[in-house]
Amino acid sequence: MIIAATNRTPEITFSGSGCSIKGECYPEDITELSKPVMKQMATDLTQTDLYNLHIELYYFNSSSAKFLFDVFDFLDNQAGQGKDISVTWFYRQDDDSMEEAGEEFQEDVERISFKLELLS
Amino acid sequence: MMDKKSIQLHKLMISRGTFFCYAGPLSETVLTSISSVVKGQLADTGNSIPVINKVFGIFVEQAQNIIRYSGDRSEQGGVGSVAISATDTGFVVEAINGISQTDKLRVSKVLEELKVMDGAQLKQAYKDRLKSGPPKGSFGAGLGFIEVARRSSRFDFSFEDHGGKTLFLYRGWVDLAAA
Repeated sequence: MIIAATNRTPEITFSGSGCSIKGECYPEDITELSKPVMKQMATDLTQTDLYNLHIELYYFNSSSAKFLFDVFDFLDNQAGQGKDISVTWFYRQDDDSMEEAGEEFQEDVERISFKLELLS
Repeated sequence: MMDKKSIQLHKLMISRGTFFCYAGPLSETVLTSISSVVKGQLADTGNSIPVINKVFGIFVEQAQNIIRYSGDRSEQGGVGSVAISATDTGFVVEAINGISQTDKLRVSKVLEELKVMDGAQLKQAYKDRLKSGPPKGSFGAGLGFIEVARRSSRFDFSFEDHGGKTLFLYRGWVDLAAA
């Protein structure tokens, strides 16, 4: 399943065993994005024990920060139930703002493997 | 005959370094359009990604504040103005909108608290808010003011009574040296 990017939302791709979020995120109503994403992740995780989330964001607003927090919180809980979950947070060279944002989310997860990776 | 006010507006904007200003009914559709203009203008300044992200981030939060909370409502959002100017040290993003007396007290309390916090305290406030969820009456995550405080080098705010209504002025600076 693919949720196409818009001017203000990222492209979101689900592979069954993972999800990739790429672009910018500052929609009018974040729930229109968060609801289908959370639903799809929950569905996928009933079918697989391994799950990868790739995030490559260039900008997100404060409402979207709450969405990301909820996604990580959900995945952290899934990992607590025995799922093997990894998150890779990609950031651009010199993009300190997104690197720091990744580090802050990393601080708040306990059971998932959360890596930061510089885009080459 | 030249229109004096047109010339005054031009001179005022140029002298203040105001390269972007929108005033009037602001909706999410309008924000989508002006966002791409602002993004292009900021990219043209040749500044680093963190500087551009900070200015753009403050702009988006302020514009969404007007859309969601301005005391003067329009059909699809709120009425207000948002402007971005170049300063000697960087940029300033300014927003003005009408505000009710109830909101004035609430907003002023929140902003006074944020104003005295240092970076570590703002980070903690941001994380606490992410965990606790939005406060009552919020249409977003309740993070907007904290986000502006974190992205700006400094911010200020004031209220002015104007024709029986109160205007809320909210400004955030991004200094190049600090970014």
